[in-house]
Amino acid sequence: MKTILGNLKLALFLAFKSMFKGNKWALGLIIVVMAFSFVNLIFTSAVISGVMATMDSQMVNTVFSNVIVSPRQDKYYIDRADEIEARISQVAGVSETCAHLNTRGFIEYGWKEKALPWDRVKSGSWNVLGIDPLQEARVTTIGHNMIDGQYLDENDTSSIVLGVEVAGGKSAQTSNFLTLGGVNVGEKVRVSYPNGIQREYTVKGIFRAREMMQADHLAFVTHKEMVSVLGRSEFANRASEILVKADRNGVEENLAAALAATGIDLEIRGWKEYGGSYRSVISTFEIIGAIIGGTGLVVAAIVMFIVIYINVLSKKRQIGILRAIGIPANAVLGSYLIQALTYAVMGITLGWLLIRLVLQPYFIFNPIDFPFGFLSLNIESARIIGSAIGLTAAAVLAGLIPSWAVMRESIIQTIWGV
Amino acid sequence: MILVKNLLKQYGHGPSAVQALKGIDLKVEEGEFIAIMGRSGSGKSTLLRILGLLDMPSGGEVQIDGINALKLAEKEKARFRLQMLGYVFQEHSLIAELTVLENVYLPAVSDLANTNYKKRAGEILEIVGLKDRVKHYPSEISGGEQQRVAIARALMNQPRTLFADEPTASLDADSSKVVLDLFSRLNKDLKQTIVMVTHEPEDRQYVDRVVWMKDGRIVNG
Repeated sequence: MKTILGNLKLALFLAFKSMFKGNKWALGLIIVVMAFSFVNLIFTSAVISGVMATMDSQMVNTVFSNVIVSPRQDKYYIDRADEIEARISQVAGVSETCAHLNTRGFIEYGWKEKALPWDRVKSGSWNVLGIDPLQEARVTTIGHNMIDGQYLDENDTSSIVLGVEVAGGKSAQTSNFLTLGGVNVGEKVRVSYPNGIQREYTVKGIFRAREMMQADHLAFVTHKEMVSVLGRSEFANRASEILVKADRNGVEENLAAALAATGIDLEIRGWKEYGGSYRSVISTFEIIGAIIGGTGLVVAAIVMFIVIYINVLSKKRQIGILRAIGIPANAVLGSYLIQALTYAVMGITLGWLLIRLVLQPYFIFNPIDFPFGFLSLNIESARIIGSAIGLTAAAVLAGLIPSWAVMRESIIQTIWGV
Repeated sequence: MILVKNLLKQYGHGPSAVQALKGIDLKVEEGEFIAIMGRSGSGKSTLLRILGLLDMPSGGEVQIDGINALKLAEKEKARFRLQMLGYVFQEHSLIAELTVLENVYLPAVSDLANTNYKKRAGEILEIVGLKDRVKHYPSEISGGEQQRVAIARALMNQPRTLFADEPTASLDADSSKVVLDLFSRLNKDLKQTIVMVTHEPEDRQYVDRVVWMKDGRIVNG
């Protein structure tokens, strides 16, 4: 024990003298390389994770909310929707609910200019949702994303609100021929419903939820109007789906289970189950993230290894001298291990400070404008811990392997190279 | 006391093998100061490195104070070098990141029982005439002073034997004289056993005995 403590004391002495009394530039370079390797690892994964988090949050905030309650598979509608909503609201963890009464609509713009009834005008089929604007605003953010005009009022019956990818025009990402071609607020559109009813609406507003795949492809009328279109009084208390907003994200599965436990005889699913193509996008991002993260870690580890390896090899003769005067091998190895660990800790700490004090604030104030939303860095604790452990392990190996290799050479070879 | 019996050292194998030591027998008494002299390639440095336990012979025996030193395990050899032997290299053997004082007390740092090592290092530096250089780094002192620091370091753990491998080879005449005077004083005042390899014929005046080597053999001694 005394020997171990003695060697540890000597190793600490040699390590700290070597680092802090040695070449300051070399020390600075190693720490900066470590710091930027760490930043690179975290930054890349944080961007990818940020993409996924933004997409997730857009899906939750604009399309699905957290949990979707839909009719049993043999039904088109949820009956006694008010009663169901009331029961749902009682469940712990539920923040708000809103009901949708949905149907498909064939929407036309400029139909009055048609020369013949079968001439094609700017048109297409989209989902038309009947909503309670007040309830909807508590669950989704569509109402806050109007790029032109206004959101619906509860009593609107002759107005429609269109997603930007339905309306078309300069703000849309979709090719113009797949949209209404640039309808403006105040202009008329005609909606043909599957039951044969046609209605003309004034476009009251156009929203851009920045959720290109689904939300921006929707059209909204009021629930009252949709009941009138469907034409039967019993639809007044029916819903195609009920969106359930949780008091926090990430609890969808538990909340769905809690709702199912109340005995509601309906399909209850977390939003991710409706992801569809979105899920494959996320899966792709996850794979890309894993590949970039893994590759980054390997590259960072190799960089670390090379930098520390060169540093150790440059002191080969010194190691030989230490051995020649009888310094125990464990103390010499220990000193290089301590140096490597110190480089790792200092580099990772500096990298972490750069991320926390520079990169993260920068991206909070200057988020990247991605097509599906504003992107900030999403730094996950697990990634930080994993990267820190990976880099530390690389640094330790980089410190130990060359010094161990030098220790295996004869003293003569180490000092004189013969 | 050092006793060397039939020491052999061969580099390489087969027809290209070089026989560096061809059966060396040598006895160095305690308190003796000897010089090993000879031309380049005569085997004197090889012999010193084996005596200092830095290298292994191909055959033969080395006893230092009754211990068959070559039979020791690597760990024990390191401890033996640390506690029983001192080694002074030809040049550049100080640790650049350590001050003069730290270089001297380095061999004693791991000895937890020794709490006075800094004081002792200061005393040794006084003996070698470098009391005013304790806070300097090796790059801030002359070559001769560096060699005196290396000697002080070799003396730190009060070794039974001090080995010096051409310690004045890289020094000017004045610095060489200072170093050799120091060896002479250590030998006379402290009864320090010293085995020194040297090229310089005039170094003979400082030593008790000269061991001449030629082609891997001792030709007198």
